[in-house]
Amino acid sequence: MERNVVLIALFAALIAALGLVPKLTLASGIPITAQSMGIMLCGTVLGAKRGALAVLLFVVLVAAGLPLLAGGRGGLGVFTTPWAGFYYGFPVAAFVAGLVMEKWTGSNISFAAGVAAVIGGIGALYLVAVPYYMVMKPAGLGEALLTAMAPFMPGDLIKAVLAGLITGALYKARPSSVLSRTNAA
Amino acid sequence: MTPPCRIEIQDLDFSVEGKQVLQSITLTLRDRRIGIVGRNGSGKSTLARLVAGLVAPTSGTVRVADKDLSRDRRAALHAVGILFQNPEHQIIFPTVGEEIAFGLEQQGRSKAEAKTGAADVLNRFELGHWMDAYINTLSQGQKHLVCLMAVVAMQPRLLVLDEPFAGLDIPTRAQLNRYLQVYEGSLLHISHDPSDLDGYDHLVWLDQGGVQLSGPQETVMAAYQEAMHNQGEANDLADLAG
Amino acid sequence: MISLTSPVRTWAHHWPAGAKLAALAAATFILFMIHDLTLLVAAAVLTAGLYALPGLVFFRSGLGRLRVLWPFLAILAIWHGATGTWAEGTEIILRLLTTVGLANLVTMTTSLSEMIAIIQWLATPLRRVGLNTRAMELAIALVIRILPSLVDNGQRLSDAWRARSRRRPGWRVVVPFTLLAIDDADHLAEALRARGGILETKRN
Repeated sequence: MERNVVLIALFAALIAALGLVPKLTLASGIPITAQSMGIMLCGTVLGAKRGALAVLLFVVLVAAGLPLLAGGRGGLGVFTTPWAGFYYGFPVAAFVAGLVMEKWTGSNISFAAGVAAVIGGIGALYLVAVPYYMVMKPAGLGEALLTAMAPFMPGDLIKAVLAGLITGALYKARPSSVLSRTNAA
Repeated sequence: MTPPCRIEIQDLDFSVEGKQVLQSITLTLRDRRIGIVGRNGSGKSTLARLVAGLVAPTSGTVRVADKDLSRDRRAALHAVGILFQNPEHQIIFPTVGEEIAFGLEQQGRSKAEAKTGAADVLNRFELGHWMDAYINTLSQGQKHLVCLMAVVAMQPRLLVLDEPFAGLDIPTRAQLNRYLQVYEGSLLHISHDPSDLDGYDHLVWLDQGGVQLSGPQETVMAAYQEAMHNQGEANDLADLAG
Repeated sequence: MISLTSPVRTWAHHWPAGAKLAALAAATFILFMIHDLTLLVAAAVLTAGLYALPGLVFFRSGLGRLRVLWPFLAILAIWHGATGTWAEGTEIILRLLTTVGLANLVTMTTSLSEMIAIIQWLATPLRRVGLNTRAMELAIALVIRILPSLVDNGQRLSDAWRARSRRRPGWRVVVPFTLLAIDDADHLAEALRARGGILETKRN
């Protein structure tokens, strides 16, 4: 119980820290903010339930007025744009990524985590964010795909690959740290 | 003054993932100021966590003030407090006031009572103005002091100190030790530094998971220091644990 | 911990947070119902007026907080420019600026502790379905407490990296960073247990 609560709080803080630390640089020199990778990692590392709760806690604290989003953003204003579906979708994304990790135990950890990050952190996330955008803007499907999905897709794919590699490296360094595999919640 | 807190350890064994950390320890401690010395990896911290009831023995018993604290966590809240080496591993709340009040709430006091209690403790340390200070703005020594106050506030009969002052400068250590000297309850203090244990009643020397020597402070300290001096001339740093 | 509450004290700082949130919800709902450009311009001007009331410093900081919206506004402008739907685009941009502006206004005039109290109040009914509100309360405090030391950890690791590499730290730093954090979690969980843990307080 204590450990779960601490882990949930810790990963919520980790998502925030990934947005605050200096941007990571890929080998090609492209800087990326690691925040949405944090969402994916919550799922792939903590598993479905704990991962979703960690992300939910993060989102709630952003709404409460903590500047935890990359670039020091936060507050209620974040939740009234047509793109807010991403923030509402974050906990769902972590849950789905965690679920894939917990169920699909046969495969190589990095590969499974990468796929889980794509299914949860991209698939499930856009499944929430795109319809939300269509209703709130309002917009048609074509427009939504072009203006709400396309700009973020390349970055998200890179982050999903990295989330897979990081989860794999964590497992290699210390198997017990990848809780989605060692003790499913 | 309350009588010293009695610690009874009987045939204690403790292993983690099949690796034996402590074996066949039997000790009865009934002094007010007890020190534990030993090299890194001798099992000192594990013993501290067992006495505090944070973990249960693999076999054997640990009783503090006649209670099994690993089972009876409610009694443990009043019987024993523990201070860890790294304050970052201990502080749960963002502000000093909340951190100190937490333990009092845990002991069953209301939020308002806990807040007053925290203010009382701060005033006793003449640090009333720390109430709303953010922990992350404090220095390392100040963080240690917050941990100490948070534990002292709960007034446990026994205070377990797991090398809390390692890495602090000499004046900060001296100041923190001064606070400890006036503590009314019993102390079980793990330390590498002989000066921390000056004036203590009893010393336990642990070596490779067992008791090497247990007795009056002066006798054990002299034997320990001589052995450490001799081992320092050898080279066992290269040996990897099996 | 820095929060987004404005240091400029306004009359709205004293209003109950619940009332401000309810008003925000109502205003946002109404704004989504309005499709008349004149009315939307009026609402935007009115919102700007609210920002101007506490003075220039407040107005400027409010404006600064809207600046982060520019990539989104750019996407909207490009789309509606390309499709020739200018009127619709203007309506959407106005609505976006006004709703975000009003929401930021609530955040700027409400303290973090008031917001957390509201969250706790909102979560109370969830106790029946098994939510441990005490655990939630602790988790919120823990996040605020852990974050600065996590950022320190990240900084230290980046420094250690740079000390031995010509390149800037890459994604690999995230691995030791996460491992360190998980170690901290174990210690903190133990510290929490040392002071009674979470389950036990439920019985109090």
